[in-house]
This record gives sequence, C-alpha cells and structure tokens, in this order.
Amino acid sequence: MEPSGNEFLRGTLKTIVLKLLTERGRMYGYEITQSVKERTQGEVVLTFGALYPVLHKLQQEGLLITESVEVDGRLRKYYTLTPRGNETALQKVSDFERFVEVMKHLLQPAPVLSMGQ
Amino acid sequence: MEKLNPQQVAILYRHLDQNGTDDALIEELLDHLACEVEHFMWIGLSFEMALEKVRLEANAKAVSHLRDVYKIELTMTDEQLRQASLDDIVFEFRNKAYGAYDLRQEYRKSLRTALVLSLGLSMMLVALLSVFSNRNWSYMSVWGAMWMLGLVAVAYAAGTWFHQRIQHKYRMAE
Repeated sequence: MEPSGNEFLRGTLKTIVLKLLTERGRMYGYEITQSVKERTQGEVVLTFGALYPVLHKLQQEGLLITESVEVDGRLRKYYTLTPRGNETALQKVSDFERFVEVMKHLLQPAPVLSMGQ
Repeated sequence: MEKLNPQQVAILYRHLDQNGTDDALIEELLDHLACEVEHFMWIGLSFEMALEKVRLEANAKAVSHLRDVYKIELTMTDEQLRQASLDDIVFEFRNKAYGAYDLRQEYRKSLRTALVLSLGLSMMLVALLSVFSNRNWSYMSVWGAMWMLGLVAVAYAAGTWFHQRIQHKYRMAE
C-alpha cells in the first residue's frame, strides 16, 4: 500500500490484530503478519516494528495473554485473547464497521437535489 | 518446509544482539526473523541471500526505532507506577524470565525462611547436646520444650520453602 495507506493502517492495527485472534484463537507474531498479507493479497504488509508494539500494548492492557512454546529449538510466543479481550475485539470491529460505513457516505458524491420538479 | 539449524539461528541472534535489541524482545524477534528466513528459503533463495534480505529489513535503525516506540508506547501508566516496586521499574523492558528479577522478588521471603530454619536447627542441636550431657530426657523440661520449638520452626521453614518452590514453578510455566 502507498505511504498514505500506512497512515490509515496505524489506527486500525489493534482492531486487525484483535479480529484475527477472535477467528484463529491462538497465533504468534509471524503468523499474524502472514495472515494479514494473505487476506489482503499483499496489499497490507505488517513489519515487525509495527506489529510487536501493538501486541505488547494489548497484553499490557490485559486483553491478551501469552504462552511460550519451544518450536524447532526456538521460543515461540503465542497470543490468546482474554475474556475482556474478546469483548473489546467485538466492540472494536463493530465500531470500525460503522466508521467505514460513515466514510463511504462521505466519499460518495453529494446527491443532487431534484425533488419537487 | 526447511528448518534453520542451530548455527543459522545463532547467526540471527548475534545480528539482533549486536543491533541492540532489548532482552525482553529478543527471543520473539529471533523467532520472527527465523520464520522469515525460512520463508525466503522456501521460495528458493539460499540461506545467505535470505539472511541478507532479513538483515536489511531488521537493520540497526529499525531495531533502535522499535526500542524508541516501546519507550513511548509501553511505559507504565501512572496507575501502574504507583503500585510498581523498584524491581518492576528497574526490570521494565528487561528479560524477567532470566532469573534475576525472580531472585530479587523472593529475597525477603528466602531470608526469613533461612533465618527460621537455622534458628530451629540450632535449638534442636542445643537440646540434643543437653540430652547427651544430662543422660536423661523429658519432654516436660526446658530442653524438651526447646526441642519441640526447634522442630516446629524447621517444619515451618521446610513448608514455606516447599510452597515457594511450587509457586515458582507455576510462575515459570506461565
């Protein structure tokens, strides 16, 4: 996506991560970036620099819990939603859907007033 | 899908370490980069080329930028700061799992347990010595009372130690 796209992305990153976790249950960082890439056909590419601060912020807020598992001799950290995280995810997704709706109205050309003729 | 061997993972680890990655982040970033390298190798690059690509992405600038983001975004809130101990503040952004954080957290408890244990043991020893010198034993005497008290202290210390160990295991498993 273009650089201006990144600007829009920044505000929705939390929502994206929460939404993915409601669907998939348990994910690790790289898996999240791959999943986002696949579903947007490569339009949205999350760098580790963007993703991990968001994940750890959500963890600090008590919306995610982590679990470290050794895979191929490396420690892999899996993230899962807490019950509160689940609620927040639903809330954020519906808020975002409403926002997109509103934005669509805003982007449509203003209807021409042709009543009473 | 081809997996990296420990030597190749070690090369990545050194790269992250030299670029100044935070202790608390390094394991997770290592896994992330290793996954990326494996992905590049899977689509047909050699390890060296895949490594170079990932190195370019995770260069010193990116890593230091990440650290700055953490300092701004993830510092403790005022609420947390009010409740945080000195240990929490010192160990923020550092690797708590390594062990030093735990040792410091448990220090007071361990000291108390050790004190009770040594007190109990020495009381038992004194009582025992008195038995040998007097050649008679009664629970109703001063020495008998001392023996019992020592026994209780040792039992208490052993119990606390055991409890602490279980708690520690539970924390490590998190």
